[in-house]
Amino acid sequence: MSAINTARSPRLLVKVLCFAFAVIACVIVAVFVLFSWQTNARVTRNVVENMEASQLRFAGLDARLRREHTLQAMALAENPTLKAAVDTYYSERGNQHELGQLRSTIETELTKLQQIMDVPSLSVTDVRGIVLASAGPNKGDWPPGARMTLRVEEDGAPVEAVVMRNDHAYAATAVPLVLGRDVVGEFFLASPLDDAYAANLAAEARAEIAILLDGRVIATSTSATLRRALESVALPLSGTIVLGGDEFVVQRLSSIDSASLYALGSVTEAARTASADSGLVLVLAGAGALLIAVGGSWWLAQTVARPIDRLSNSLAQMAKARDFDQPLPSSGGSRELDTLTATFNELRTAVALAEAESEAAYLGVIGALATALDARDPYTAGHSQRVADLSVSIGRQIQLSEADLETLRLGALLHDIGKIGVSDAVLRKPTKLTPDEFEQIKLHPTLGARILKPLRFLDAQLAIVELHHERPDGQGYPHGLKGDEIPMFARIVHVADAFDAMTSARAYRAAMPVATAIGELWRLIGVDFDAQVVQAMAALPVALTEAGSSEEPVAERLSTRSLVPFPSRATIVAGQHGQFALRRAE
Amino acid sequence: MDSLRVCAGVALSVTVLCSSERSDLSAREDATGSLSGRVHVVAHPARRLATAGVYPGRIVGIQADRDSSELDNVIVFINSSMRVDSAPQRLSIRQTNEEFVPHVVAVTTGSTVEFPNDDLIFHNVFSLSRAATFDLGRYPRNSSKARTFTKPGVVKVFCHLHSHMSAIVRVFSHPYFAFPDRNGRFTIPDVPAGRVEVTAWHERAGEVTHMATIDDGGTAELRFSLPLTDPE
Repeated sequence: MSAINTARSPRLLVKVLCFAFAVIACVIVAVFVLFSWQTNARVTRNVVENMEASQLRFAGLDARLRREHTLQAMALAENPTLKAAVDTYYSERGNQHELGQLRSTIETELTKLQQIMDVPSLSVTDVRGIVLASAGPNKGDWPPGARMTLRVEEDGAPVEAVVMRNDHAYAATAVPLVLGRDVVGEFFLASPLDDAYAANLAAEARAEIAILLDGRVIATSTSATLRRALESVALPLSGTIVLGGDEFVVQRLSSIDSASLYALGSVTEAARTASADSGLVLVLAGAGALLIAVGGSWWLAQTVARPIDRLSNSLAQMAKARDFDQPLPSSGGSRELDTLTATFNELRTAVALAEAESEAAYLGVIGALATALDARDPYTAGHSQRVADLSVSIGRQIQLSEADLETLRLGALLHDIGKIGVSDAVLRKPTKLTPDEFEQIKLHPTLGARILKPLRFLDAQLAIVELHHERPDGQGYPHGLKGDEIPMFARIVHVADAFDAMTSARAYRAAMPVATAIGELWRLIGVDFDAQVVQAMAALPVALTEAGSSEEPVAERLSTRSLVPFPSRATIVAGQHGQFALRRAE
Repeated sequence: MDSLRVCAGVALSVTVLCSSERSDLSAREDATGSLSGRVHVVAHPARRLATAGVYPGRIVGIQADRDSSELDNVIVFINSSMRVDSAPQRLSIRQTNEEFVPHVVAVTTGSTVEFPNDDLIFHNVFSLSRAATFDLGRYPRNSSKARTFTKPGVVKVFCHLHSHMSAIVRVFSHPYFAFPDRNGRFTIPDVPAGRVEVTAWHERAGEVTHMATIDDGGTAELRFSLPLTDPE
């Protein structure tokens, strides 16, 4: 609540945020760890499945491709011009010029076919396997005059094989050039088994491709580093292998002759991709969760912290104004806060009750003191109580508030408390007082004030006790205040005190009749007594205990029935309904 | 392909009988004799067939049912570049069932060969040979195109539309040539007397040449015997 506390402990919002953040961070980290743990196994399985699927797909594709390759070669070998040229070449063998012509005819035809069909490399040989002409990007590997190592079967059946030419590997298909029933030459269709071919296959298989001839790497779709790594290991038909620090799943897809096609799937790469993908998802989810947490925490802190702030503000105001009479308003923030408020209000009520009780106890003690004081002198017995009653009646007559009347009553009850400090010898002296003794008596208002001063709840009564002997003409004591300088309460008590003293018997004189006393009061208006107070008192209805009730005001009775005999010892007492009764004193 | 698989290896055997031991061709300008003999064709059991020595390596596939008719594709001729004019001939190579029939013809220079189309489909006759390079273009059934051959030599004839069709027109500058009959017998009449080279030629099996002396009024007998054996 205090500034010190606020400075020392973090704000609720911060606390809630930190907690939410910590929880979310823990969950995300846990999920990430679990996920990473699972990813590798799952990815390996995926890659293996992918490889196996690739192999199946590839087996079908490969068989079809090879069949198509052969068919394509056979279809191309049916070209009439080629056949005619090759057959004519044979019959023109004696004429070099003519042979050159025919050779270029063959080459032109081959080039045309190669371009139209978009096949890699075409060659035509004579029946001995000597190249007559070639076409295609790799025709340099098949120059005219070269001897073709691959030959069709003796019965003319096509063959397919991997052929090395100038350190280049080719998948070659040989078909016979048949004229009528005779084989007049051979026709070759060769595809280079190079890196470009491997890259094409890699796109098809969705995996890296390596082509090995007799265990030697001749083409790959991989990086140069991986290729070097491949060259140093023996590839299994299928399984996993570690190349250059990465794990690969290996699967042999097919083989042509002594060449084998391998698919390589990188588990590490796939895992990395999968991790990156899931990492992105996790980061997004984490960011979302964090955002929600920030919002939620802010809302929570607001709903909790704001009513607490309101409550503490109310309390601070209350403490500053020292006003604990009003109950604290309910914050409505939460049940706990409402309970806190209610508890505080109960505490406040209990404290107020306790205060009232102790006040009452004090008053009881003070009342007892006043009564004891009165009891010291038989002549003043009941004096304080009577003065109090009369003062209240007068106060009510001049329409003081109930709170003021209570102040007045208590002040009047205690007005002579200072006489505790006056010796009995002086106080109870039956004869007239000497000036010295009178000076002692005059000290009692100051003494009374001194006695009551430590009792803070009697602050309002202090003036009554101290100033109840001041007179409008300034001849009073202890300060000699004049007229309006004297508080109203003190003036009232002064009048009531005098009236009671006059109508009470003293050791040295008899009680004055009420009417005489009132007359005396009236006479000394402005000198000893305040006019408003005396008038108010005179207006009080008077009931004569013995003469029955009379509703006539005291003053009126004074003027009209001034000669009505009063009991020797009587007093005006406040009746239940504010009227006065003159009662015989005991 | 299958036809090639089942084709039986056949060797051609030509037996040349030379009955006229001596003759003097230069004795008289107009002295003539005749040349006759027998060509013997022998079926060969080997799958890879005999190859010609001059242009070796030629695989020859001949089906068994063609054995007897292989004699139709053998020409026996005087191997000489002498020019002996004779009346131009007019022959036909028909295109029947996607085949040139007959497969081999021999003509003298200046002669004309017709190529009538008997098939329902188009054919396109052409040749890349030096002796006659031509392309008759496509033409339908019942039409015919002709070509006159003016240079001696071997003219290989093909069809642009049907790559399995082929025929041979052998053009000579003299009329001294003959096809053996179904028994292998041949006769070349009115050959100028003297010592001559006689060749028996087959498109796949190659050629075999013997020397013969033609006496005036006499008959020289030659025997040609194939197969030719591959020295390899």
